[in-house]
Amino acid sequence: MKEAAAGKSSLTPIFPAMAGSRLLRPSIPFRFFGAAVIFHVGAWIALFIGADATPRFAGGLGWPLVVLHFVTLGVLAMSAIGASLQLLPVATRRSVGSERWPAAIWWLYTPGVAMTALGMGTGAVTALAAGAVAVVAALGIYAALLARNLVGAKGMPVVVAHGWAALASLAIVLATALALAGAYAGAPTLDRATVIGLHVVFAAYGFMGMLALGLSYILVPMYALSAAPAERPAWASFALAVLALLLAGAAALDFAPVALRTAAAAAGLASVALHLHLMTTALRTGMRRHLGRSFTLVRVAWAMLVASLLLALALVFDAPVDGLATSFGVVVIGGWLLTFLLGILQRIVPFLASMHAGQVGTRGRGLPPTPSALTAARPLAIHFACHLAALALLALAVAVDSALAIRAAAALGTAGALAFGAFFAAAMRRMRRPQAPAGTAAMPGS
Amino acid sequence: MNAGAQGKHWTDADGLHIDVRGLAPPGPLVAIVALIESIGGGVTPVIVHHERDPVMLYGELAERGWTVERIDGAPGEVRLKLRKVGSDSTFRNGQG
Repeated sequence: MKEAAAGKSSLTPIFPAMAGSRLLRPSIPFRFFGAAVIFHVGAWIALFIGADATPRFAGGLGWPLVVLHFVTLGVLAMSAIGASLQLLPVATRRSVGSERWPAAIWWLYTPGVAMTALGMGTGAVTALAAGAVAVVAALGIYAALLARNLVGAKGMPVVVAHGWAALASLAIVLATALALAGAYAGAPTLDRATVIGLHVVFAAYGFMGMLALGLSYILVPMYALSAAPAERPAWASFALAVLALLLAGAAALDFAPVALRTAAAAAGLASVALHLHLMTTALRTGMRRHLGRSFTLVRVAWAMLVASLLLALALVFDAPVDGLATSFGVVVIGGWLLTFLLGILQRIVPFLASMHAGQVGTRGRGLPPTPSALTAARPLAIHFACHLAALALLALAVAVDSALAIRAAAALGTAGALAFGAFFAAAMRRMRRPQAPAGTAAMPGS
Repeated sequence: MNAGAQGKHWTDADGLHIDVRGLAPPGPLVAIVALIESIGGGVTPVIVHHERDPVMLYGELAERGWTVERIDGAPGEVRLKLRKVGSDSTFRNGQG
């Protein structure tokens, strides 16, 4: 017994239990994260190109629309697909099944996003329409995988409920996306204002927002090492968020739009207040108090979520502020969703890389690297400063209608995105590095 | 034996046991990390009784210098043996 245990300990990898687990092989999630890293750089470069049209952007084809979709489809949804396919099976205890489908999604989705966005930028509606069909097909497959995972999920009912709400929102987003692409291609079907209203609300707050809120109930307590959030307020927050979406959806269909949009923003604020109470409680009571820059970004993102709802109210009441709609877009997409994602991603990537390096270790090469050994502090510090400065400058540029300031923000954002790419590349390189033999590896303490 | 949010703990001939089945995530992760931090650099193996493969636990263990070995458990159970890297693999009853 002693010999057997000792013999095993010299060869046993640190994560042997992963054999046959619900984790996908590393190339699946990391190809989505890698593509997101590239689209992130592309988004800031597209902003530089489209700087003149950005401060007063009010929809329509052009480079500001490319920026919007590079971020939403290329970065946010791309990462959400990779993260949810990896994390939801862990939460629901149901496997994704064949890995061919997640791989097929990536091969369909990635060129589809590029083609859609470039069609938007250049006015090539055929490319736009073809890209949109590929994107909708890929997201349709993703929706089917997500639904199959959520059906019969065991445990974490609040997270599962958020998953269903995100899925229902995705269906609306896809339908409205096809309607918009059809209109650009000369085949309008529905009233454009209605379609855009539904598309914006259900893409930002519905699909992306509900995934962000739901996955936060797993990720934030996990990184803070705190107890699971109280269920009752989490359910109340979920119910209020769904109510807000339904009210905003009805308003987009032109039923008492001012009253319903006001009620939607109020319900959204109440939902967010409960959610943030649970999240800050987790951070305050957790065993890990110092979560570094990643959670500073998460806190900034939460502040921007609240700000986005206040700006939505200002839009409802036609507040006399120039560029208000563009400011709303900057705050909801850049301030909340993108900042939140980048904060979380810089924690998830080293964690997943460490787990997957552990799988490599099953071949008997020794201990895998720790998550902290797979991160890269300097690129993340550069990204942190550049990202926040770029967003602040972008908001200012919109407020004062300055294309020059937009270009400066885009340059800063590009530098930050490249630094984030350096962090990601370092994690991938170190994950594949041969490991030190067990028993001789230096393992940092906590 | 200590039930509740920290799971059930007991000591046996093969190590210090913790049963985290039934805890809502991330309760199992938190309970296991709290236990191994309370042990510190001790040589006591920890036997975890879990109902799922705790994939998110492994990075936390790696950071703290602990290895994991999957061992036989009851049907439907995921049983893990955790050891501090460099510690002696034996455990005499009463040591922990």
